[in-house]
Amino acid sequence: MISPALLPVANELRRLLGDENVLAAHSDLLVYECDGFVIEKNCPDVVVFPRTTEDVAQVVRLCNAHDVPFLPRGAGTSLAGGCLPVGGGVMIVFTRMKQILEINLRDRYAIVQPGVVNIWLTNALKGTGYHYAPDPSSQGACTIGGNVATNSGGPHTLKYGVTVNHTLGIEAVLADGSIVQFGGPVEDAPGLDLTGALVGSEGTLAIVTKIWVRLTKNPEGVRTLLGVFDSVEDATNSISEIIGAGIIPAALEMMDQGILAAVEAAFHFGFPLDAQAILLIEVDGLEAGLDSQRDEIIELCMKTGAREVRQARDAQERLLLWKSRKQAFGAVGRLSPSYCTQDGVVPRTKLPHILKRITEISAKYSIRIVNVFHAGDGNIHPILLFDERDAEQVSRVLKASDEILEECISSGGSVTGEHGIGVEKISLMNKLFTPDDLAAMTRLRVAFNPTGRLSPAKMLPTAGACGLEQVHPGRRAAM
Amino acid sequence: MGATMTAKSTAAKSTAAVSQPLPLAETHTPADQAALSAVLADVHARGVAAYPIGGGTSLDFGLTPATPGVGIILTSLKRVIDYPARDMTVTVEAGITLDALSKTLAAERQWLPVEGPQPHVATLGGLMASAWSGPRRYGYGTMRDYVIGMTAVDIRGVPFKAGGRVVKNVAGYDFCKLLTGSLGTLGVISQITLKTRPIPERTAFLVCELPNLEVAERLLAAIIDSRTTPVAVELLSGPMWREHPSLGVLTPGSMGRLVVALEGTTPEVDWMLGQLAAERRELDVPTAHVISGDAATRLWETLNEFPGFPDAPLVLKASVPPSRVTEFIATVQAADPKASVQAHAGNGIVIARFEGFAPGDISSTVLGRLRPAAQLSGGSAIVLSSNVEGWTRQAWWGGIGAAAPWMQKIKQQFDPGNLLNPGRFAYDSTGA
Repeated sequence: MISPALLPVANELRRLLGDENVLAAHSDLLVYECDGFVIEKNCPDVVVFPRTTEDVAQVVRLCNAHDVPFLPRGAGTSLAGGCLPVGGGVMIVFTRMKQILEINLRDRYAIVQPGVVNIWLTNALKGTGYHYAPDPSSQGACTIGGNVATNSGGPHTLKYGVTVNHTLGIEAVLADGSIVQFGGPVEDAPGLDLTGALVGSEGTLAIVTKIWVRLTKNPEGVRTLLGVFDSVEDATNSISEIIGAGIIPAALEMMDQGILAAVEAAFHFGFPLDAQAILLIEVDGLEAGLDSQRDEIIELCMKTGAREVRQARDAQERLLLWKSRKQAFGAVGRLSPSYCTQDGVVPRTKLPHILKRITEISAKYSIRIVNVFHAGDGNIHPILLFDERDAEQVSRVLKASDEILEECISSGGSVTGEHGIGVEKISLMNKLFTPDDLAAMTRLRVAFNPTGRLSPAKMLPTAGACGLEQVHPGRRAAM
Repeated sequence: MGATMTAKSTAAKSTAAVSQPLPLAETHTPADQAALSAVLADVHARGVAAYPIGGGTSLDFGLTPATPGVGIILTSLKRVIDYPARDMTVTVEAGITLDALSKTLAAERQWLPVEGPQPHVATLGGLMASAWSGPRRYGYGTMRDYVIGMTAVDIRGVPFKAGGRVVKNVAGYDFCKLLTGSLGTLGVISQITLKTRPIPERTAFLVCELPNLEVAERLLAAIIDSRTTPVAVELLSGPMWREHPSLGVLTPGSMGRLVVALEGTTPEVDWMLGQLAAERRELDVPTAHVISGDAATRLWETLNEFPGFPDAPLVLKASVPPSRVTEFIATVQAADPKASVQAHAGNGIVIARFEGFAPGDISSTVLGRLRPAAQLSGGSAIVLSSNVEGWTRQAWWGGIGAAAPWMQKIKQQFDPGNLLNPGRFAYDSTGA
């Protein structure tokens, strides 16, 4: 039920945007009660679908006038609760701002609206010799606006970098309703790099309404290899050997035995089901250098104990291999009714250690954990399998997740490589950062979002009267 | 400005590395981050201005500050904190020189492919604070693409950090980006963690002479479609480029050269040289030659140093869309036929060193012709250095438009008293 206080706001929004662009009935709002992070849920009071930047600015001004919280949402694929409407309020959904506004090959950029789905841009660029490099596994669904909010990565970020490395500029509606452009198609705008500061700010500093992205030349050739290993440790050692030899693969992904079975059942690639780990290794670039790189990688893998290294025979086999990898999460449904994908980072040389610890933590909490992740970046994605109808299991999942992430911190890593802090990981921020670090981050937030109405209770622990207090997931949705 | 601009004394600038235009009442050289914190806390308590100084190679970048204050020299913060080469990251103190960093990384066949002038004195912290970049930005990106973690000390002497020591990390706000290019106005950078890259096996240049700018644009557009992957695309024109030990002497009548840098394994570079030569023949462009080995090293040095050469009335850096580079160079040449130009043409960056006009003409040239030309194409133009005095903020930086209030709000949060490098950058806490 919409809270009575918000009825006039909903009516005003209908007047501004038209009935067809506003949802306020509870049954319509249920879709928006959570994103890919399903452990906490809360309905927004109103959902709006702006079609222009000016629409967004009007919504924000209205929310400010009525002291109502508001937050942006793309496709809702966030795995950290970045789109959870804490405290309700108005959710600004960008699925109707989905135009590719310009593609300029001579100057190597494109301009997109935030609701453009990641893969649409690459599809629109087919045949031009260029592509948009960040390719999260959810690229068939996630939006570029959402990618900007979370500074998304993907398998090919090992060589090509994450979203911020490909974002030239943004137009944003600020928390006060003003519209400002930072950066743009031309490099090196004078002053502070606010594009860089806003990318990855998870919708807490500004609402992005237009994005200038860098286009990347397609590699001339590619070699895709599948390394089969009888132990996880041998696989991770291979990773260190490859990188240590000065080869930067375009992608270097790992799947363990637990996930392989599900992926094989879903996609019938022909993965060896008795393997303890497989590495998906891709090198790309000039044809002139690829065969020697491939041979060197095969030699290094065999030296570190690979059972065999296969090469994708043709483009079709390569695509199936990538489909198996990118849709691995979808195959997890075969293993368990619910799952929680974690997102930690360790220095890549610490991968053997963290994977061993994950096995121990899995046993300690009796929670089955399978692994599919961006090994080359040291970015792990342990998938915790459980049944969300069992509250006791959920509690064990949360504890196991925290323990894995704390182990990432003590290994010199981070609690998120690409999914974001959202609401899920707020309680870990105090462990990763000092109160002084968090105070500096709070200063940046206050500069942009002084009232806190924009995306409240996200990313930073709330500052209480006695300093920074920790709020654990589960308590917040009721706020 | 205009009539008030006068020639600076050039005596102090003859050794650019140590020239010192800042109004310093005293200087401190803290030995470590704790000492740096103490200096800043003291400065803050006294309410005086603080001027962070690295190798001192870019002290003439930005306006000359008027407020007397304390110079904080960071060259003693030069330790390598952690270099796990297999992780391809390195954590160092910000005062390390670029050469010392290169030497450390080279031992593991790695490097930071971001360039700055005078690497024997220039510091990494200075490179980050000024967001300096060189020709290789086309192939490798800029400083913002390599800083994955940092610690800075705020004006109260309190350290704060962001990022970490892993190559992929989205926890918390990205101060690494915010402080890159902030010119010491938000905090004094004390420690930096970088991503490193493997040093390429071979580097070589293909050089084409350009009869005119029309041919230049044709070649530049073709590089976008080339099968090769250059790491630098430089357009060089004007008197200072006519003769160079590596480039030779420019054929009379040519307007300049296009210099394309290629890096990679030996087979890759050899293939690209052949491929580029073939693509060039299709475009019917005359004389090209290859530069490699020691001659290539010397050419890289000149390409890195050119923007920092002292003693010009004006060195301007314009940013325009890459497709408008040749048009902008024509505007430069019309303003001053004696100007020498280095364009990172693939990125749309044009560095123009002017020689041929009186200080009094600068204002009409910069404000009246060059900057509007850059802005008309959606870009900007800032001054890199000038040996004349009397610059205003607007004249030097050209304004930062609608983003200005947001930069001021950040500054007010981080340095409300406007004590960090006041009066130098494109904005202050009180005005832009």
